[in-house]
Amino acid sequence: MSIDAIALEMRDITKSFPGVRALEAVSFDCAHGEVHAICGENGAGKSTLIKVLGGIYQPDAGSILIEGKPAAFSHPVEARRAGISIIHQELSLLPHRTVAENIYLGLEPTRGGRLDRKAMMEGARRLLGRLGSPISADARAGDLAIAEQQTVEIAKALALDARILVMDEPTAALDDTNAKRLLDLVARLRSEGVAIVYVSHRMPEIAAIADRVTIMKDGRKVETAPIGAMPTDRIVRLMVGRELSDYYPARPDTPPGDVLLEIAGGGNAELADIDLSVRAGEIVGIAGLEGSGKAALARAIFGDQPFTRGTVRFLGAPIDLRHPRAGIEAGIGFLSDDRKREGCLLQQSLRDNLLLVRRAFASPVRGSRAGTLADGEADTMMRRLDVRAAHFGQAIGALSGGNQQKVILGRWLARDPRLLVFCEPTRGIDVAAKAAIYQLMRDVAARGRGVVMVSSDLPEVIGVSDRILVMHQGRIAGECSPEVGEEGVMALAVGHRPAPLDVAREGALA
Amino acid sequence: MTLADTLPASRRTRRSLPVPLLLFLASAVLYVGAALYTGQLNQLGASGLVGLAQRMVGLGIVALGQTFVILAGSIDLSVANLISVSAVLASFVMQGDPAMIAPAVLLVLVVSAAVGFVNGGVVAKLGVNPLIATLGVGLILQGLLSASFNNFAGSVPEAFQGLAYGTIGIIPWSVLALLALAIIGALLLRSTRFGAHLYATGGNMDGARLAGIRTDRITILAHVICSLMAGLTGLYLASRLRSGAPWVGRDGVYDLESIAVVVIGGTLLSGGRGGVWGTLAGVLLFATLDAVFNMLGVPAFPKQVMRGAIVILAVAAYAIRNKGPVA
Repeated sequence: MSIDAIALEMRDITKSFPGVRALEAVSFDCAHGEVHAICGENGAGKSTLIKVLGGIYQPDAGSILIEGKPAAFSHPVEARRAGISIIHQELSLLPHRTVAENIYLGLEPTRGGRLDRKAMMEGARRLLGRLGSPISADARAGDLAIAEQQTVEIAKALALDARILVMDEPTAALDDTNAKRLLDLVARLRSEGVAIVYVSHRMPEIAAIADRVTIMKDGRKVETAPIGAMPTDRIVRLMVGRELSDYYPARPDTPPGDVLLEIAGGGNAELADIDLSVRAGEIVGIAGLEGSGKAALARAIFGDQPFTRGTVRFLGAPIDLRHPRAGIEAGIGFLSDDRKREGCLLQQSLRDNLLLVRRAFASPVRGSRAGTLADGEADTMMRRLDVRAAHFGQAIGALSGGNQQKVILGRWLARDPRLLVFCEPTRGIDVAAKAAIYQLMRDVAARGRGVVMVSSDLPEVIGVSDRILVMHQGRIAGECSPEVGEEGVMALAVGHRPAPLDVAREGALA
Repeated sequence: MTLADTLPASRRTRRSLPVPLLLFLASAVLYVGAALYTGQLNQLGASGLVGLAQRMVGLGIVALGQTFVILAGSIDLSVANLISVSAVLASFVMQGDPAMIAPAVLLVLVVSAAVGFVNGGVVAKLGVNPLIATLGVGLILQGLLSASFNNFAGSVPEAFQGLAYGTIGIIPWSVLALLALAIIGALLLRSTRFGAHLYATGGNMDGARLAGIRTDRITILAHVICSLMAGLTGLYLASRLRSGAPWVGRDGVYDLESIAVVVIGGTLLSGGRGGVWGTLAGVLLFATLDAVFNMLGVPAFPKQVMRGAIVILAVAAYAIRNKGPVA
């Protein structure tokens, strides 16, 4: 790599916030036509580094060089003008505007002072074509699937002629197929000479796409090395300081207990012919592609989008849940896949968040800080879950994803339902917190509770579940044991093998 | 590692004074300053301060109610109209007859609760945006009222005027009532299941529902409380004016001013955060402003300008305060 091929260099960047040093002399560079991955737990300083690069924060010390020339950004616009484009984890498209309008947001071409819609449409089509995407330029952004929106975000970055593209966990909200497609796109941009800084928690992706990897921990750079010298287990070890083998908890030797939940012929607008049973003490994984109905199934079990057909038996008695409260009363808990929108009360304290479910069923008066509305119990639970915060009275919005998820989990553990339905329990959280949450799920099962885990993360489904149901087009395409591996699950998920029984048998043999 | 995320936030909260105290201090400085500047030292005596407190009552009661709906993530634009309805209804039913006080009060409270129930129901069950829902209900109320009355209707008996004019020692009943209502409100928010559910509903409606909270009921209940408070304000105004007219609520701009003081008091307009004491402090600030302008002998219009500026400044101050070093 010659010197002039370096697109971006950050030298000894230091950034402190009151009371904490978020970045300490971090150096980082990225060449044209290179994908440089940054790994690290949440709070390791990745986001701060990216925000410094994007001009959102100004570094206390250190320098940034773009194409070898020193640059200082005092505002995000300046970073954008320098050719740096950041795609944040939360998408920023205007849902009611068209794809073309979104792509040219802030850069609208004009002719004679009037908006040149034609140029905009053509430009958008050209950019989308460059990305190999069939998305129509006059579609409304809000009507697109998440994966397509992500593509539009990338097109938006390209409209700026970004030479340096920063992607912050771009696949966090995508299922495996779409994630794969996105990686292809990244590879294409790389071949066009774009320098790509890629932040992700998904190890297989990094192995597949990165040229170099930088590991960060506690605001420092631990190591930068070519991907060849960085097998996944080494990355994980450097990130958390332990081996990958501890990552998924061991499965118990004891057979599962009585049947807790039994669904026969369940269906609603999104689901059909659902037959499934969950026993006490087991973790049932539910896999499937985006839109396969796996999330709808979770909500139907909980009573949020209830079954309209079929019969459901819970703890031996027939039940017909019409809304979440009924589900909770029956003894079912539900961890939403959208932590921000359906999980956290962002403005409120950790305690208030943790006690939410308890309070939903508490007696009317709190009285003298005693009983189920009290704080003491919440603190005990959060210590047990190893929630890390300055203090438990602070607002949950300030915490990292992993710690937020622990609090939301604690909300359900405080209620201790007989069956817990987890939707994407580790979406967007760091490796260490993931391992802790897997262990928690296993502990819950070991206490004789049933666990249903809906997940788009195949390694997770395989690593954690006792058995796996795979959804396809609103139906259960088949059941398999974790031994069938990712290919086996994926084959069912894409509807490749029609006869579920065969697969189950194959799984047992494998 | 969460230190990077958490420390700045906690520092922020530690170094800032509580909002109600801040507003209280600001009011005190304004008031004392104006009294000293104009030489009206009698305003600093007991009667001056009691007068100031008395100014708070009307807006204070309705703003307490508004606090509840705003905390729930809703809003109520119908309070001014409901105040007029209550005032007219009370004085019309009483017609100067002390025996009719109890039935009139009861009727006003029932009607108010019903209006709150309708407001809450339209918002929670039909999913109509609360601005539109309560605006519509308010227009309906005003229409019905204007169709039936066009001037002061009836009168309240001497005994009922005690509500506004009676005192214990030198402290008016009405001031004590406002204080009592505020304390009850604070207790409701702090120490009851309803309070916890209200904050949860306003903070994240979906999250609260998935946690098993009946958010519909909470929203409706918040609206019922708000409307009851508006009803009480109507009764107070009838007592104070000795009769009710169909414009008393609208002339007081109770709808917008109650929202303004709630927001000045630090309650988030989107719900989920805030409380009663901030609102009361906001009411105090508005009452102080009234008193100060009276002392200075300035006409009413600049006062309106000041109020508007304060609302904007307050909200801007919150926005800046919440913008810490970590975005």
